[in-house]
Amino acid sequence: MTRAGERGAALAWPALGLAACVLLPWYALQDGLGSLGWARELWNSEESGAAFALGLSLGRWWLLPTIACLFAAAITALLPLPRARRGTLLALCGAAGIACFVAQALGIGLRGWTADWLTGLFGELDGRQFGIGAGGAVAGIACVGIVASGLALRGAFGGDAFVAGAVAAVIASIVLFTAWPILRILVQAFQNGDGAFVPSLLLERLSAPKIWTLRCLLGGGRCGVAWNTLFLAVCCGVGTTALGLAFALIATRTGFRYKRTLRVLTVLPIITPPFVIGLALILVFGRSGLVNQFLEWAFAVPPTRWIYGFQGVFLAQLFAFTPVAFLVLIGVVEGVSPTLEEASQTLRADRWATFTTVSLPLMKPGLANAFLVGFIESIADFGNPIVLGGDYRVLSTEIYFAVVGAQLDYGRAAALGLLLLAFALGAFFLQRRIVGTGSYATISGKGDAGLPTPLPAAARRVAMAVALPWAAITALLYGFAFLGGVVKVWGRDYTLTLEHYVKAFAVEHGANGLIWSGAAWHSFWTTVKLAAVAAPLTALLGLLAAWLLVRQRFAGRAALEFATMLSFAVPGTVIGVAYVFAFNVPPLEITGSALIIVLCFIFRNMPVGVRAGMAAMSQIDRSLDEASATLRGRAPQTLAFVVLPLLRPAIVGSLIYGFVRAVTTVSAVVFLVTAEYELATTYIILRVINGDYGLAVAYSCALIALMLVAILAIQLAVGDRRLGRRAGPTQGARA
Amino acid sequence: MTQPAGVEFHNVVKRYGDVAAVTGVSFRVDAGTLVTLLGPSGCGKTTTLRMIAGLELASEGRIEIAGRDVTAVGATQRDVSMVFQSYALFPHMSVLENVCYGLRRSGIAREEAGRRAREGLAQVGLAGYEERQPSELSGGQQQRVAVARALVLRPSVLLFDEPLSNLDARLRRQMRQEIRTLQQSLGLTVVYVTHDQQEAMAVSDRIIVMNKGAIEQDGTPRDLYERPATPFLARFMGESNPATGIARPLGNGRIAVRLGEAEIAVASPRVVSGSVTVAIRPETVRVESRVPNSGGLTGRVEAASYVGTHMEYGIATTVGSLFVVCPRVERPLPVGHEVDLLLEPRGVILVDG
Ligand SMILES: Nc1ncnc2c1ncn2[C@@H]1O[C@H](COP(=O)(O)OP(=O)(O)O)[C@@H](O)[C@H]1O
Ligand SMILES: [Mg+2]
Repeated sequence: MTRAGERGAALAWPALGLAACVLLPWYALQDGLGSLGWARELWNSEESGAAFALGLSLGRWWLLPTIACLFAAAITALLPLPRARRGTLLALCGAAGIACFVAQALGIGLRGWTADWLTGLFGELDGRQFGIGAGGAVAGIACVGIVASGLALRGAFGGDAFVAGAVAAVIASIVLFTAWPILRILVQAFQNGDGAFVPSLLLERLSAPKIWTLRCLLGGGRCGVAWNTLFLAVCCGVGTTALGLAFALIATRTGFRYKRTLRVLTVLPIITPPFVIGLALILVFGRSGLVNQFLEWAFAVPPTRWIYGFQGVFLAQLFAFTPVAFLVLIGVVEGVSPTLEEASQTLRADRWATFTTVSLPLMKPGLANAFLVGFIESIADFGNPIVLGGDYRVLSTEIYFAVVGAQLDYGRAAALGLLLLAFALGAFFLQRRIVGTGSYATISGKGDAGLPTPLPAAARRVAMAVALPWAAITALLYGFAFLGGVVKVWGRDYTLTLEHYVKAFAVEHGANGLIWSGAAWHSFWTTVKLAAVAAPLTALLGLLAAWLLVRQRFAGRAALEFATMLSFAVPGTVIGVAYVFAFNVPPLEITGSALIIVLCFIFRNMPVGVRAGMAAMSQIDRSLDEASATLRGRAPQTLAFVVLPLLRPAIVGSLIYGFVRAVTTVSAVVFLVTAEYELATTYIILRVINGDYGLAVAYSCALIALMLVAILAIQLAVGDRRLGRRAGPTQGARA
Repeated sequence: MTQPAGVEFHNVVKRYGDVAAVTGVSFRVDAGTLVTLLGPSGCGKTTTLRMIAGLELASEGRIEIAGRDVTAVGATQRDVSMVFQSYALFPHMSVLENVCYGLRRSGIAREEAGRRAREGLAQVGLAGYEERQPSELSGGQQQRVAVARALVLRPSVLLFDEPLSNLDARLRRQMRQEIRTLQQSLGLTVVYVTHDQQEAMAVSDRIIVMNKGAIEQDGTPRDLYERPATPFLARFMGESNPATGIARPLGNGRIAVRLGEAEIAVASPRVVSGSVTVAIRPETVRVESRVPNSGGLTGRVEAASYVGTHMEYGIATTVGSLFVVCPRVERPLPVGHEVDLLLEPRGVILVDG
């Protein structure tokens, strides 16, 4: 690049930041940027002023250092300097700008200075913090951009400003929307009701007998929520692993004829909201469910609330999470090289001996992995415990009641959140160790495959005996769930009717055109809109992060990868609570907005996008990127013309996942929804809690239909990649 | 379109974590020449080449292209193109799109890019293949597309990383000749990486031999073959037998080296005496049936194999076992036969160390 071009590029970020300081209101506006009234008040209002005006004439002098840093960066960009020197200076200016920005954001709170020593230093403050708005956000982003472009000029990130900017963007967003909220939980757990910092408080909160008591073992009363959670999670892990293994063995090692049906049945739960199975269980086993009614009718047994409690949640989680275990284990089972099994058979081992001495031991790390996945899913689950738990309290529901219920005890919620986080991370680290060290299951990719050895007869019979009834029950439950939506009142009046659908989704002709009068429309459209906004952003951020992690080498790469993986293990409930703590006060005041829900969707679901993207990307030969680079393709062009077209399947996957998860998630968003931004799942859960099963079921079915439509639409829109005659492997064409 | 440019490395180091892949190399490549980086696998050739391309940035030192310091400049901005070992053809683009790619990224309009790409394809003998997908080409054709793709940009430096290693022996010989012809007719600056000594000698103006991340010797093919500076080079540049002899100065820049029964006068820039290490080229040794006082090195045939064009013998002598090739194949010498080995001055190379 020429010296002039270099200067121009270096000027872009400072110019953007300074423009924001002049042209945009620094703080968030009550009614957003939509009505342009703020434009007139940029120079004279404390609420909607631009940073220059606020700093120079409206007494908010603490904004001036940040502006000065932007100014210094602009001057550095214009001076005739050698490349490396310019880079160093820019990076320093940007870093100073970030420091000044963060210092004023955190140093000033709702009641002036946030710490006594600051008051001592600067005197009493006249003014308080508002939420950061468009101007502040753009200026902050510009500072980050300046650091990135400066580092790139110094030769970091392969000297590429785009890569540097992308890394900075990903790191900054993860810090802001994952790390910072979780840090806030930690702080909150130490704070008392007045916000004072009391170190002993966490210990006190965590040692409460309500959490750890073992009374149930001694025969009196209930056990603590921590034990409940752990016990449920272990049972769920063992159960889903066993079932998942049975399904995986049947699908890969037998001549079972209905394998495809089996696969559909196991994929179905992934696109259903997690509590639908719970709902179906209520319809079958609940107080006015089929079983109770039959018993009453036949043997005059009075109906019981038997299903509510551990057994109900356990069953629901088994149904809901077995598919996940199946997906994990099918990879494991397929990964056991048939060659090894054939070798074993040529060494005089019969099928059973081969299975027990070769195949199973090879699968062991995979089984442990599946167990931990089930474990993590179970402790993170909120929908099933809230619907079916009854008196059986687990951490996720306990946190919910601490925040939303009458207790309103944020400190306790934070402490419980930390405990839940500790469980999840513990399991996560165990899982990583197992996957990282002990896995021998490898697919060599060479053409030496051989044929998978059929399952020995005994094992086959066991697998069938477990899996087939289970599959049948799953199908039945789905059937009942559907039926529940088309009968009048389940348990009393079984006449077929569409009234629940009408109640939820009625559309009337009014004077001014259509009136969406159904009860569900509001939450339905909100869900669709927010999910549709979040899904592409999730995919984009996930794939961008994956591209950086797989293809770029930079300091802190391993740490970044670790951070994205870690946020995967954080249970939704914890994230939800953390968002409430972190974003309901300035400087980032976004609770109650659609933005916070979208952000929550994005940062909850991005890690999976990252994983999928990394897996897909590592199948694409790195030399393709490099060829593009040496052919004058700058990083964004390489991404657009080479990487993305080859990544289409991963893009489709990420989009679908981002959308489906946004529509079905419950645990994180229950804390974030408001009357204005109500989501389908939270609306349904409230209906279930109120016993309005018909509407809940009808709505759930509509959601499933919505997701099927969305999946088809995404697949059509993104399309497939074409690689010519020998479609298939995505490596660079080789001889 | 730019002029072919020279490349200079000044004490360049590349470290990956704690390991140094390249440890302080300095060299220059003159504009319009073909220079080969040669060395055994893992010696740092690819790393060096990628530092010229800007795909890796040097940990230390300075890199100049066309006299400009590009040490911290990334690949996209260096005006350097590269032909990859795996060819790295974009599998989702046709041949023409592949060749157009770099032109389009340089901001050339579609029609003009298409015209130049066709021209480039014609240059490598692939006119008519424009609409094929890369997967519909043979290995040699893919190789040509990769060359055309890099060539059409008229880069100031063109890089090849073991471009022929995926081809069969016959095609390899043909392709290397084509690359050399193209380079000479267009006056390109080319840096070429290979581990094959014959390939390097066949195509290069100069060869830089690397070993363990450092430069071992730098010179013309003839220099390196006839005057290898180190035992490693003598071994690496063609076959050679290491042996120890006793030297005695003769004057006039020559010394006499005694090897067993034989004594031979060889050229030596330095005056040395006492024990010296020499390398004996196997193709320069004449093998004769033993006669008394032949003045040759005496030995006995230990192994003999017929490989079509010549005989290969392993011969036990008083200076160790020697590997010798002999063009006479009609009457091979049987194992156990007593022989004389007649040495030639050009086949006995004095090496340091
Ligand atoms: N990305 C990398 N990370 C760590 N070590 C590397 C990397 N690339 C190359 N190396 C090491 O640097 C040395 C030189 O590698 P390379 O230049 O590829 O050798 P050559 O091309 O001569 O076979 C090798 O020892 C290799 O293991
Ligand atoms: Mg190499």
